[in-house]
Amino acid sequence: MTAADFQALLPFMCVAAAAVIVMLVISFYRNQTLSAILTLAGLLVALASLPIAWSHAPRAIPPLLRVDSFALVHLALLLVGTVAVTVFSQRYLEKYRMERGEFYILLLLSALGALILAAADHFVAFFLGLELLSVSLYVMVGYIFVKEKALEAAVKYLFLAGLTSALLLFGLALIYAALGSMEFSALAAAVAGAPDGLSPFLVAGMLLVFAGAAFKLSVVPFHLWTPDIYQGAPAPVTAFLATVSKGCVVAVLLRFFAPLDPASQTGLFSALAAVAGASMIVGNLLALLQDNLKRILAYSSIAHFGYILVAFLAGGENGPAAATFYLVTYFAATLIAFGVIGYLSPTDQEADTVADYRGLFWRRPGSAALLSIAIFSLLGLPLTAGFMGKFFLVAAGAAAGLWPLLIILTVSATLGIFYYLRIIIAMYSGEGRKSEGRTADAPFAPTSATVLVLLAVLLIVIGIAPEPLLAFIQAATTLAP
Amino acid sequence: MPDAPYWPFLVYATLVLTVAGGILVLSSLLGPRHQERVTGEPYESGVPPTATARLRLSVKFFLIAILFVIFDLELVFLFAWAIAIHELGWPGFWGMVVFVFILAAALVYEWRMGSLDWTERSAQARLRERREAFAKRQQENAAP
Amino acid sequence: MMLPAIILLPLLAGLVAWLAGRWSATAPRWIALAGTAVPLALTATFWGRPAEGRWIAAFGFDWIPAAGISFFLALDGLSLLLVLLTFFLGVLAVGVAWRQTDHRPGFFFFNLLWILSGTAGVFLALDLFLFFFFWELMVLPMYFVIGIWGHEHRTRAAIKFFLFTQAGGFILLLAILGLHFSHAAETGLHTFLYEDLLGGALPAGTAWWLMLGFFFAFAVKLPAFPFHTWLPDAHTEAPTAGSLILAGILLKTGGYGLLRFVVPLFPEAAAAFAPVALVLGAVGILYGAKLAFAQSDLKRLVAYTSVSHMGFVVVGVFAWNTWALQGVVVTMICHGLSTGALFILAGSLQERLHTRDLGRMGGFQVLAPRMTAFALFFAMASLGLPGLGNFVGEFLILLGGFQISIPVTVAAALGLVGATVYSLWIIQRAFHGTPAKGATLADVNFREAAILGALVLGLLGLGLYPRPVLDAAEPAVRWLEADAARPVPVVLAVEPPPHPPLP
Repeated sequence: MTAADFQALLPFMCVAAAAVIVMLVISFYRNQTLSAILTLAGLLVALASLPIAWSHAPRAIPPLLRVDSFALVHLALLLVGTVAVTVFSQRYLEKYRMERGEFYILLLLSALGALILAAADHFVAFFLGLELLSVSLYVMVGYIFVKEKALEAAVKYLFLAGLTSALLLFGLALIYAALGSMEFSALAAAVAGAPDGLSPFLVAGMLLVFAGAAFKLSVVPFHLWTPDIYQGAPAPVTAFLATVSKGCVVAVLLRFFAPLDPASQTGLFSALAAVAGASMIVGNLLALLQDNLKRILAYSSIAHFGYILVAFLAGGENGPAAATFYLVTYFAATLIAFGVIGYLSPTDQEADTVADYRGLFWRRPGSAALLSIAIFSLLGLPLTAGFMGKFFLVAAGAAAGLWPLLIILTVSATLGIFYYLRIIIAMYSGEGRKSEGRTADAPFAPTSATVLVLLAVLLIVIGIAPEPLLAFIQAATTLAP
Repeated sequence: MPDAPYWPFLVYATLVLTVAGGILVLSSLLGPRHQERVTGEPYESGVPPTATARLRLSVKFFLIAILFVIFDLELVFLFAWAIAIHELGWPGFWGMVVFVFILAAALVYEWRMGSLDWTERSAQARLRERREAFAKRQQENAAP
Repeated sequence: MMLPAIILLPLLAGLVAWLAGRWSATAPRWIALAGTAVPLALTATFWGRPAEGRWIAAFGFDWIPAAGISFFLALDGLSLLLVLLTFFLGVLAVGVAWRQTDHRPGFFFFNLLWILSGTAGVFLALDLFLFFFFWELMVLPMYFVIGIWGHEHRTRAAIKFFLFTQAGGFILLLAILGLHFSHAAETGLHTFLYEDLLGGALPAGTAWWLMLGFFFAFAVKLPAFPFHTWLPDAHTEAPTAGSLILAGILLKTGGYGLLRFVVPLFPEAAAAFAPVALVLGAVGILYGAKLAFAQSDLKRLVAYTSVSHMGFVVVGVFAWNTWALQGVVVTMICHGLSTGALFILAGSLQERLHTRDLGRMGGFQVLAPRMTAFALFFAMASLGLPGLGNFVGEFLILLGGFQISIPVTVAAALGLVGATVYSLWIIQRAFHGTPAKGATLADVNFREAAILGALVLGLLGLGLYPRPVLDAAEPAVRWLEADAARPVPVVLAVEPPPHPPLP
């Protein structure tokens, strides 16, 4: 370990140190605001240390991690997502009379797990990151244990995530059996050395690893947990589940599958294509049947990760960049959506049925405008980032000639219009009387409002001028195969 | 590795399935089948059961068990480090210092949260709660 | 800089109107009026200006070079006419909505102005990505206009509208990307620029599928038979200003797309597809007319006449000769004016009577003579009375179509008979006869008379002296023909090839 290694690892160390500091501070002085401020400070210092790490990129920290521009872009994204979740949580938890400080320790730890995943270059780092992320999440999902739904969701998440960890471990064992090594680069070498097909152990191992990752991404057929847990978890945790805990898995999958050539791995890639297609169809179809906003967003996230898999399958020059770009737009929109939901939720329940949002635009124009921008972006309307994201995604797919998947994307995205519009209709109809929906009346706290407005501005700026971000991502995410 | 033969693996898998399936099939074929009045009761050395098997244990036991597992297991890493102490040198030492510091921080946290107190505070707290509940009930009774 | 200003001004005015709506109910109206009148004036300054090469004016910069996308706007005679129509009808729509929209006027005018801006962008954008951007931009505000200020079944109609156009939009996106990448594969040039994509030698199979994608998107918007089912609902449920914009302008983006993109980009595939399209067009004309005749709801009736008239546009585009194309341009403009006027009349009747049911109307000739005169005029225009604009357009289309396919032309001409029937049907049901006892009907007021009068003048001008419009459209049409006739990519000649003089 040299000084340069430490500098490259600064973001990780900042987050880890913040977790320990918050824990020690809680031991002596329990104050929710203080914990939140310390957490934010840790995350912001980690963000500020990214340029330092960047100056040493690409740098391999053997054998586990690899800090390169690709990892750093994802680190930045994950850290920003966590910052937003922290701000939302602070307001959300204030409503509950309970021990609240520990939430931030868990948040920092699962963020650390996510960061490790984004920089993983070794299956052990992959597994460690994933477990750190998941174990903290079990508790976060059930943190408001006075709510039965939250407890139920936590238990469900625990069981299913435990199962997938087992699958993942089995896959790792098979890969180790086939390769005698657990480095991603060894996998790349094995693939390059056997252009006409890999050993069945290796393919089975990779499929199992993908299954473990697919659970986190909640793509079909590993999606069954999503709606219940999205609904039961507190809104800020749902925001975290929907963004950070999925984004890091996309990062690791991109790195994991980058060395593979779709042409020679038809079996593996057709399995992935089937997963992508099924996710798009199932996610969008089932979202049509929901009356609960959180469930709608859960199913729509299934579909969105189906879309991202299309870029992922496209691979090549455009695939990783398009997937990362889409991830940025998805993060911003999803964070806004769950941020607003959490904000509008009164203490006794979540404001999450579509009926709660009836007339919101006339009652609380600010929240409704934010939520509308988020939904328009998820829907992919012009002048929002989602439009550009979807465009680059489809462009990457078209460049790789994935026409059947693109047609599925088109058809299912058209179906998706229905459920997004239901929310929009609800918000813009009605007269704006208070009795129309159960939403909290509290004005926005300046911190949350700042974060939400910044995210919305980001969505619109990217929607008008995507060039700087796109060029940056394209330059940063070129993965050497 | 790709050249390694797969058949031992297959044989092994077949054996596992055969043994597991065989036990199930055999026991269902050979086992006694009868449905009497006491068939469903647990067999306690010929003595009819006198009480439920579910005993209440203080939750403190679980806490202690978990704390033991955490701190004991973490110590295993110290052994691993001790074996390679010369190869790892000072970086390894500082790494271990950080590790122990984090453990210590966790211990401080546990201590301050009261996880290490067995009875005193909790008993006092229970008493206080009971007293408060009693006072509240009296107030409610007095109100109407 | 004028071209982006034409698009940006309504966008900004829309935002200002929305904000102003929070404090004042009248301010958004004046802002909206300014936001449509100023772009109209700006566009009008291009009138009669000579073209340099192909475009009268062009504006461009690199937008997203990483993906080969540029922000390129250009104006030729065709765009000029359609943008003028857009803002002319835009001003009238603001006038129509002046009193009708008391419910949250700020947001209403915001949506109205954004539709106009998106439509102007569609007519001006000549980078395919930018085109798609504006194409999508105009959908959502229209959805709000129908969904919030519409009539009783507004939610259903709005969703139907949105769904159809989005489905078309997604297909269009796929087709644009397919074109982009197959063009890049052929030439190595990553571009979305219209002029670069023209004349690309695509493989025949690819060209066929891409052409179908473009055709589908534009046929839905137009709407051509059998993709027209969203239109009657949307038109019927939209508020009057919305119907005016929808019929007058939004449908024209479909016709414009067919003219500008489908045939020039894929000439061989379009030629192969022409027989099918011609038949679809003819069926649309007859079917629309027949269904119009069967309606008892006045707005629905007018909506079906749009289907019929847009059938002429399809026939004209796929006949693809100078006469037919000139006819298409004139028909699109005149349909915008005459059908828009009929919707305004239907809207003002509904405002007064609170019904659109023809069965409950009658005898308005006695009660509202001025309105009857206007209605008669626009009904005559709609049926194609010589001397009014629609006659010129339809006549030119039939003339051009006759050289391509006599049976289709005969069928289309029969559609004119249908037009006569349904137009007179409106007059007879609503305005002739004796009024019900005790019925009252306020005649058109000054504001309505001014709006309708402007439309009357426009239609009369186009009917009696169409020369300026035809002259403005001619170079653009001849460039389009030259593009479609180009067999292989060649360096574009600055002068379009010679052509027989127009009738």
